[in-house]
Amino acid sequence: MGENSTILQIKNLSKHFGALKAVDEVSFEVKKGEIVGLIGPNGAGKTTLTNLVNGTYPKTEGKVLFKDLDISNLKPYQIARIGLTRTYQVVKPLTGMTVEENVLVGSLFGRENRDSEMKNASKRAREIIKLVGLESKKDSLVSDITLPDLKKMEFARVLAMEPEVIFLDEVMAGLNPIEVEEASILVKEVRQEKDLSIVYIEHIMKAVMGISDRIVVLHHGRKIVEGTPQEVVNDPAVVEAYLGKRYAKGIKEVNNEG
Amino acid sequence: MSNNKKVNIFLLIIAVVLFIFLPRFLSGYWVRVITTIFMYAVIAQGINIMSGYMGYLPFGNAMFFGIGAYVTAIGMSKGLPFLVVVPLAAITAILFSILLGLPVLRLRGHYFAIATIGMSAAILAVVQNATEITGGAMGTTLPIIDKAPSVVYNYFYLAMLALMVITTLSLHFIIKSKFGFGIRSIKANEDAANSMGINTTYHKVIAWAISALFTSIAGALYAYWMSFIGPDEVFDVMIAVNTIVIMLIGGAGSILGPIIGAFIIELFAEVAWSAFLEYHLAVLGIIIIIIVIFVPKGVTGTIGDFVKRRKLRVGKKVSI
Amino acid sequence: MLANAILLGGLYALMGIGFSLQWGISGIINLSYGAMVILGSYISLEFFNFFHIDPFISMIMSGAILFIIGAIIYRGLLQPFLKGGIVFTLILTFAVRLIVENIILKVWSADYRTIRLAYAGSNFQLGDIYIPLTKFLTFITAGILIYLTYLFMMNTKTGKGIQAVALDKEGAQAVGMDVEKMYMINFALGTALAGLTGSLWASIYAFSPHLLGPIVGKVFIIAILGGLGNIWGAAAGGLLLGFAETAGAAFLGSQWQEAIGMVIMVCVLIWRPYGLMGKKFFG
Repeated sequence: MGENSTILQIKNLSKHFGALKAVDEVSFEVKKGEIVGLIGPNGAGKTTLTNLVNGTYPKTEGKVLFKDLDISNLKPYQIARIGLTRTYQVVKPLTGMTVEENVLVGSLFGRENRDSEMKNASKRAREIIKLVGLESKKDSLVSDITLPDLKKMEFARVLAMEPEVIFLDEVMAGLNPIEVEEASILVKEVRQEKDLSIVYIEHIMKAVMGISDRIVVLHHGRKIVEGTPQEVVNDPAVVEAYLGKRYAKGIKEVNNEG
Repeated sequence: MSNNKKVNIFLLIIAVVLFIFLPRFLSGYWVRVITTIFMYAVIAQGINIMSGYMGYLPFGNAMFFGIGAYVTAIGMSKGLPFLVVVPLAAITAILFSILLGLPVLRLRGHYFAIATIGMSAAILAVVQNATEITGGAMGTTLPIIDKAPSVVYNYFYLAMLALMVITTLSLHFIIKSKFGFGIRSIKANEDAANSMGINTTYHKVIAWAISALFTSIAGALYAYWMSFIGPDEVFDVMIAVNTIVIMLIGGAGSILGPIIGAFIIELFAEVAWSAFLEYHLAVLGIIIIIIVIFVPKGVTGTIGDFVKRRKLRVGKKVSI
Repeated sequence: MLANAILLGGLYALMGIGFSLQWGISGIINLSYGAMVILGSYISLEFFNFFHIDPFISMIMSGAILFIIGAIIYRGLLQPFLKGGIVFTLILTFAVRLIVENIILKVWSADYRTIRLAYAGSNFQLGDIYIPLTKFLTFITAGILIYLTYLFMMNTKTGKGIQAVALDKEGAQAVGMDVEKMYMINFALGTALAGLTGSLWASIYAFSPHLLGPIVGKVFIIAILGGLGNIWGAAAGGLLLGFAETAGAAFLGSQWQEAIGMVIMVCVLIWRPYGLMGKKFFG
């Protein structure tokens, strides 16, 4: 597989809850090593899409191809083992366990065909904990740590699985601006080091702009725009989705003049 | 290995050795009581791995005890020696756990608990009615061992002790292993566990099979020991209730909890029985309520909390 | 025989609804439910023996007393431990059962008791069939009570509150509803229905603590068949069970009765865990 080849293909993915089309024929691709921002206002279908891709929800329609393998009908644990993982918007720590144990679980399970012997898995877990900067908290119970640390832990947990693609679901939710900045830097560093492809889900534009190579915009379950951050931010359809028609008209006029 | 661990292992070995020689100092009655304690500890460990560690309460687990007992009884009535029947009993129980578990463990906790109650009741009814094979509601006998009574009950004492030690050790190593982490993750957050690559159905089924294995061997030993078993006795819902209470009071999700709990409950029963004969049901009910209100984490859990709080306080002092 | 099946089913329907509501809405599997039912029977027994009051009238007292008992048990014992998960609620309700069972054994002994009504022998004629008057009356009463429960749930403020809480707890809290009160009333309603069933049962059949366990088994089946928390589902489940048991007893002999019930339940759990009505359940 070449340097910039496609690692994930989402084709015509749909999820209907009765009459509600939570996700409506969404298609896009992720290339190896890319960070693709997935944005849209609240309720646009971003988390539903994530649940579809990782096998948590059954699909109404559509296919997902991971490295040319059709994973549309696999169970979540199988998809995780192949190398596609996700974090949760509302963190799901393994309660009752420590930070280190949480990351260890990711290290032990996670991608298949790795050395999952306890000793080596533990080593791997500890390295990742160091990488994200949680070393001082590694023996704390997850019920005793702060939200930003929980987010870091979930990130570490997912990294310990040694995935190729990560869906980061609104990892910035609940963080203050300084924490958001730190998190962005961490994600960039990690992507560099681990050669990951990331689908970065956010509904805050600013967080996504500086970090994504490309952006996909969802609204009411449909993909409305796809392009570079620059293209997307000036697109009237996007502005309309976030801010309403009147602002969009303003942008159109600015674009026409410029 | 840290010094703490070495000390603990040393203490445990001493405890086992003491237990081995204990019968010399006790009357036959007490030897039998302690044998029962060992047996309940084993059954409680079966509940512990499922509920304490994995979060799925097998309320009907007594069915494996009964299956172990009856396969042993039937096998020996056909002339098979005990040591041959025991593995058969275990295998039968494991097969049941897998066949019944696969469809039911897909569902979440509530349904599993109820389904196991239903299964246990159904199996009980079958055993009660299949009179030709099982002797029906009147029960069935096993070959009596041709030795002096004291030899017999010492034999079963040691056998149950061995079973308890093996069960507890096995559980200890299982929980420390990768599989053990899988089980604990299911209790912690089953959705997250799935997304992390844990095949939860596989873990649940295997855990139940392990539970069935040890519980059924306890049943097998019990049957041979008693020489006579009846369906109401070995499929009794009170076995499940008692062992759940034992797990709770000892501390669910701890390795030694069930053993401690078995001692506490059985010894209390011994003491309280004569005093409260007419009220023993209500007393048990009240005890359950007291345990849940005051010691929900059981003995081991409460001690654990206490130790942790002391560590925190000491830590605070040191850092200042 | 058909008539018997229907009449039994009606009583089962009433019985099952209480349990189903407790399980479906509060998520509590109430193992003391059987004890509550027969407690209702014994209350009517006492009213009959001491005051010569007909069970159809004393059932109101049964219902009221069991309502209060249910409220106390819920508020005092169950609500504080709901977050402990199913282990705690199962073992706590079992503890309640043990205590109630012991009280019943002490006060009334394990013997089977009956209420001998003066009109027990009379029959009610419906076309060709002669139906015992008492059975007919209990069926009608059960039906009325079920309908009243339905009306309560649909039309009263409290009933609608309970439904709201069942559907969306956070939403209900957000609009300022006393969610815990709703749960408590729901649970108490469940035990009240148990008590009412017990009184009606006493007018026809004998009763003793031996019935405790099997009743719980039956209401499991009814609740699962009908979908948890679903009133009409439980009613249908009750009727179905009535049929299955009567037919089973007629064709296979009564020993297999309970086994059949259990097997049915396990099968339904495996293939249609949401009940025959397919309603989404709690949890």
